[in-house]
Order: sequence, then structure tokens, then C-alpha cells
Amino acid sequence: MTNRVRAGYLPGLAEQDVQWQVLAFGEGPGQVQVEVPVLTPDQMQALARRVRRSARDVLQRLTVSQIVAIVDAAIARLLDPADPHRQEAQRFLPAISGYDAEMVRLGLGSFLKAFRAPQLHRFLAEDFANPKVLDEFQPAAKGGAVRAFGPGLLVHVWAGNVPALPLWSLVCGLLVKAGNIGKLPSAEPLFAGLFARLLAQVHPPLADCLAIVWWRGGDGSAAPALFAEADTVLAYGSNHAVDQVRRQLPVTTRFLPYGHKLGFGMVSRAALDAQRAPATARLAAHDVVRYEQQGCYSPHLFYVERGGRVGPREFAQYLAGELANLQRRFPRRALALEDAQAIAGWRQAAELRTLAAPGAELLGGADAAWAVSYSDEPQPLAPTAANRCIQVVAVERLDDVVALVEPHAAFLQTAGIAADPAELFRLAGLLGRAGVTRVAAPGSMTAPEAGWHHDGRFNLLDLVRMVEIEQSAERAAERFAPYAQEDLG
Amino acid sequence: MDASQSAPALVESLLAFIAQDGCSDDAFDAMALRLFAHQHAHNEPFRRFCQGRGATPRQVRSWRDIPAVPINGFKDLTLSCVPPAGCQRVFMTSGTTRGEVKGRNWHPDLAVWNASFRGNFARRFMQGAPRIRMGILFPDEPAMPNSSLAHYLQYALQEFGAAGSAHYVGANGLDVAGVTEALSGAERSGEPFALLGASYSFVHLMDGLRSAGRSFRLPPGSRILDTGGYKKQSRDVDFDEFYDALAAAFGVPRERCINMYGMTELSSQFYDDGNAVVPSLKSGPHWIRSRLVDPLTGLQVAKGERGILVHCDLANYNSVTTILTEDVGVERDGGFLLLGRAQGAQAKGCSLAVEEFLKAAA
Repeated sequence: MTNRVRAGYLPGLAEQDVQWQVLAFGEGPGQVQVEVPVLTPDQMQALARRVRRSARDVLQRLTVSQIVAIVDAAIARLLDPADPHRQEAQRFLPAISGYDAEMVRLGLGSFLKAFRAPQLHRFLAEDFANPKVLDEFQPAAKGGAVRAFGPGLLVHVWAGNVPALPLWSLVCGLLVKAGNIGKLPSAEPLFAGLFARLLAQVHPPLADCLAIVWWRGGDGSAAPALFAEADTVLAYGSNHAVDQVRRQLPVTTRFLPYGHKLGFGMVSRAALDAQRAPATARLAAHDVVRYEQQGCYSPHLFYVERGGRVGPREFAQYLAGELANLQRRFPRRALALEDAQAIAGWRQAAELRTLAAPGAELLGGADAAWAVSYSDEPQPLAPTAANRCIQVVAVERLDDVVALVEPHAAFLQTAGIAADPAELFRLAGLLGRAGVTRVAAPGSMTAPEAGWHHDGRFNLLDLVRMVEIEQSAERAAERFAPYAQEDLG
Repeated sequence: MDASQSAPALVESLLAFIAQDGCSDDAFDAMALRLFAHQHAHNEPFRRFCQGRGATPRQVRSWRDIPAVPINGFKDLTLSCVPPAGCQRVFMTSGTTRGEVKGRNWHPDLAVWNASFRGNFARRFMQGAPRIRMGILFPDEPAMPNSSLAHYLQYALQEFGAAGSAHYVGANGLDVAGVTEALSGAERSGEPFALLGASYSFVHLMDGLRSAGRSFRLPPGSRILDTGGYKKQSRDVDFDEFYDALAAAFGVPRERCINMYGMTELSSQFYDDGNAVVPSLKSGPHWIRSRLVDPLTGLQVAKGERGILVHCDLANYNSVTTILTEDVGVERDGGFLLLGRAQGAQAKGCSLAVEEFLKAAA
């Protein structure tokens, strides 16, 4: 039996008028086939105009609190294990993304919780001192009044197989009342369309305010047809992929790129005593295992300070032990030959280092579904082959790490830090200057909190235009009011 | 006994082995084990590599048991049974994938390498012809003294090239006018002609000919040898397109377009019997054997499944006989299909992939 599911969300387009292409995930009886839409440029343009119009007529007439309530209702449905949409997601996402089913279930739960009403309000409060500016003119501190307008049409180009990731930017787009059209990531083409359908069910007037499309990377003329209609384009992916999008945009289109990132962790000697070291290693292992290090916030390397009761090498051993434990609970997905080759290459390099560098060690045999490469000497930041390959590097002082990561500022985002409070703030200052934009605790690296500033940006503020009524206009208007009194003084 | 004392007898046996018509499985194993013992005894980094895998001459019973050294080992380790300073030649990889670090294969002298080349080339490419006029689309040996391909092509020209054979890649790049003249001459004379070179040079040459509006019908018996693949260096073309284009540009039927698969890290080459159908079946001479493995476990994959190629090349007597490549293949009766290099796994998520990182760091 094959499992076939249709992806995307195309209001106003009849399914039979659209061409569909099949993307296959996995092999054998568990294979999932996802049909993705291939639109003509004309269809794309018509869709874009429809979404823009509906957003103006419907979405922009709702208050931001009403939008929060609608999203909250949709998220509540997805958090309900009995809901058919949730069941569809849970049924197909493991095969599509390749992640363990239990990992997907737990991951979805903790991810979706960040989109409930209280968290969404916090999200708004993070960017807007007074979120009512999204609804109407509000007094500005400097005088006059100010109101925030989202783009009429916001296009999202999503990437990656981390389940449900498109939700971040899609919800941002909704909160600023934009008409939203998202391009499905080929690696996880299911969730965004499913969410759009659910949203239309929860609040039918929104049905035409968003659309979910697809095109083959670097292909055809449908993408430019969409970009030509957009006010703002958000793109995720490799520098190359993001650059491809940028080149297709009219110069007046606002462009917000989110490139690939490289996460790392730091463990201070304060966290390296007999009780705390194993606990920290357990949390670090969770960060490694969750989404197989495919997230922008996933760690590829832990810098561990010498001088604690537990040494860096022992920490590496604890980490190895925890990875072995987690393999029993969340087995690593079956690897494609290319992934296996990438891991083998990384392992070989680590193995050769053990022959060349004193003290270097590779933990985890060829048959283990994880590997820890330990280095006794400082190493610059570098990605691993992911899929539970992690480096542990001993450093004299955590301050030494700054110079090791700074050359890669463009790729920095999340640092997981286990340290005492004074150290935490000092290191965060140094790392912030070096390019890091998010400091999280080990164990929380892959679960950014609601309202986080993705890559150090303002998720909502970056999307809006502030429209100001200056005091002069307000004062001048006073004179033209029917009830204006001439100053007879 | 140091390697310089043991080597002459070993080299002599090897040359005799290569000169044979073929060999039994047992004879191959016997020679492979003798070489393994030699390399284990005389190359310290290799011995440590084997220790890491628990492989000693006592435990290794067949060529399949010899630990396969990843080709990166040629970058990071000195894999030579004699001090490199005493070696007549060192062939180096072009080092495109890992910055400045190049893989190195040391050769005390080229007697075995050349012997391995000669008989194999005569059978698989010359196919009985004693000499043929050659156009080489690659720099000559003095220009690239550390390139095993430059040596291969220079030696081919020396041993099998008829009068008028020449190199057409020099300091100024590909000499399209020179090749054009040689090809026209061959057309007029009716004498068979052979074009040999890197696959990407053929792509450049065909681009040049196309813009000049030229194509040729080389005389019967003409042939083409390409090697090295064309990904990354040149336009991305698929195998079918490439051999169709060769046939159209030079009038050489696809079954006479032969692809050679060789590596700096080896001392022997594989060939196919033409590329009428792609991917073509590759096979080597009796002194090299290959198997397909799971890159992580090193275990052989089921016949017909994709795996990574491991080669055991007995002519590689001074470095290591058995190497783990990064090439994907499938075993078939009589050889294997070469499916190309295992592409670095693409980033599936939004975490930075190694390839992109290296590109940014370069």
C-alpha cells in the first residue's frame, strides 16, 4: 500500500486545473508520496492577486487580538491528539522528514505550544511596546501618532525538513495582517498546507488570505511571476539558495534572508562536578539528537573547560553514554548512502586525527548510530556530518572560544551555555560581539522560546512599515475641524 | 629487514604476477597477503591504522580482510614503505576538495606502475593496434610532474603513439586550432586517430568546435579515451549527453568512446568497453579487485545494491594496496558500474553543511 497525500493550499484554483508532481519519501511499504502543485505563471499571478485582495478585505479588518485567537484555535486543534489534522501530520511527517516518530510527536508538541495565545501575545509584546499599533493609530512617544502596516503580499521561501518550521514565518505574516504565499520546502512539503487548510476551517473568511505553493528549485517562470507581485520576500536556505531568490527580485522588493547557521555549546568548569557534568551531558545529548542536528540552532561542537572536577575527556564520555541511551529511545533514521558517506568521511577524519594528534579520541564504533570526536587541543568551529556526530573540544578557558568562533560570524546563531550567572553574562557579551544572537541552556538549544529574535532580527518589526502622523499634521487638522474656534485673541 | 632489502624480490614477483595471463583467487590472495605483511611491517602509520581496526598479518586471511585506507589517509598520513626522500616520484591529487592538503602516493620508481599501465592499456584501449596517432587533451608530464594522469598520457603517447602524436594543452590552455588541424589531417589521411584526455577538456573542446561550427568524421578505427569525470570542472552534463556529443563532434561511435577510471591513490586503471550504454561496466586487470561496502560499517553490500568502492590494487606495493574511495558503484557480473562521487550530503535542514562551510572558508 502506498500512502499518497496532496500538499499545498490553493484557494480559488480547482485541483484538476493544476499540474501535480510527486515527491517520494522513503522506500518500500512505508513510502509516502506527496503530490505538490506546479503552477503556471498565470496561475501564480492570479493566486497572488487573490490573496492580496482577500487579505486587504478580510485579514486587515481583524484586530491583532482576533488573529491571535484564530491562530490559537488552530493550534489547539493541532495539539489535540484526536484531531484529524494532527493525526495526518503524525502519520506522514516521520516518513517525510526521516525523523523517529516519537521524536516528531514530542517535537511537534513542544513546538506548537509556542504558538498558543499567551505566547503569541508575548511574541507581539517583544516587538511592539503597544501591539495596538497593528490595528489603529496610536500615540507616539515623540508626539503625533503611529501605525504599523504589514506587507500587502508576503512571500515565504521555506527550506529544510525540520517538521512544521514554516509555522514561524507564516504566523508572523498573519500577525502583521499580510497576505501570505509560502513556497513549500521540498524536504518537508506537508505541514504548511495542512496548517493553511486548518486555519480556513477554523475561520472560513480567512480561506483566501493565504496560499501554499511549490516549485522546483531554480526552475521555471512561476517563481518570478510570484516574486513580481510580492512586497516582501522572506527566504530560508543555503547562501546559494538565498542568493538565487535575491537575484530574481525586483529591486524595490523588500528581502529578508535567513541563511544556514552553525550551533555550538560551552560548558564551564562550574558545571563539571560529579553531579552536574552527567546532567549537562544528558541535556547536550538531547540537543544533538533532536532533529538530527538539522536545525539552525543544533549544536555541532561543545567546548569544554578544563579544571573542573570532571575533565573535558570525561565529559565527552558522558556525552557518548547519553547518545547511546538516546539511540535506544529515539533510534537514528535509516541513512541514505550519501549521508552514510558523509558520516564515514567525518569519522575517517576524526580517526586520522587520533593517529596524528596526541590525546584525540573517537568515541562510538563504526556500528554505533552516533559518534563523539574528542580533541585535547583547541579546534576552530566547523560543522560535523550531523546525524549525531558531535565534537567535544577541551579549552583552558571558555574565553578562548571567542577567537575560535569569531571567524565564522556569518554562520553564528545559537550558543548553548552551561556556566554560573556571572560567567553566563560575561560570555554572552563576548559571544554577542562575535556574532552569536541566541544563548540558550543545553537541552533547550533546539527549542527557541516564544518571541525569540531569529538570527537577532525582529520577526514582526522587520515585516512592517511604520506610518506616522506628525504633530504638525495633527495640529493643522485641528484648525480645519468643524468645531474649530478661531482664536480671536 | 628494511623495505629496501625486501622490495627487490617483491617487485620482481609482482612484475611476474602482472605479466601472467590471469590468476586464481588463491594466487591473488597470496600476493595480497604478502604485500599486506610488507606494508604492515614497513609503514608505521599504516600499522597504527590497522591496530585501530584490530587487523594484523596473522588475522588477515584474504584480500577482503585488509583494512581499506580512506583516500583522505593519503592526505593526512605518510603512506610509504620507504622514506619519501628515496622515492623517484610522488603523484598528488589535485586537492580541490580540502583546500591545500593533497593526497600523495609515493613511488620508489615507476617500474611496477608502468608495467601495470602497459598491458592493460594495450588490451583495453589499443585492442591489438600497435600504435595510433594521438591527440592528448592534457598538459604534458614536465608541466605537471606530480600528476599521475599527465604521466599516464605521456607514457601512453611514448609507448603507443604513432608519429605526429602531440599534446594540445599548454601554458595557454587548450589549443583548439591545433586540435582542429590534427583532426582535419586525420580525416584527410584516412588513418585512425585517438583523442585522449580529461573529460572536462573534451567539454571545452566541443564548446570551442561548436562555436566555430566544426565537426569531424574521424576514420574507422579512431577512438576516444576520457577520464576523470566532468562535474565541478565544467558544465554539468549527463553521461548520455556527453557521449552523444562526442560521437557527433568527432564521428567516433559511442562503443569506441572508452572511459578510464583511475586514481592518484592507485597504480592500476579500470576501463569499460565503450559507452554505447551508460553507465558502462568497468573492470580492471587481474591484479586489482574491488568490492562495494557500506561506508560506515565497511561491510560488503548485497550484490546489486549501491555501495562505496573499495579497491585492492596489488601494483600499489609501496603505499597501501587497499583503499576506500568516495565513489559510488554497483557490482555487476564481470565488474561494476561507476555511479559517480558520493555527493556531500545536502543540508536537509537549516544547519550549515560541510560543503557550504568550506566554500565560505575558502
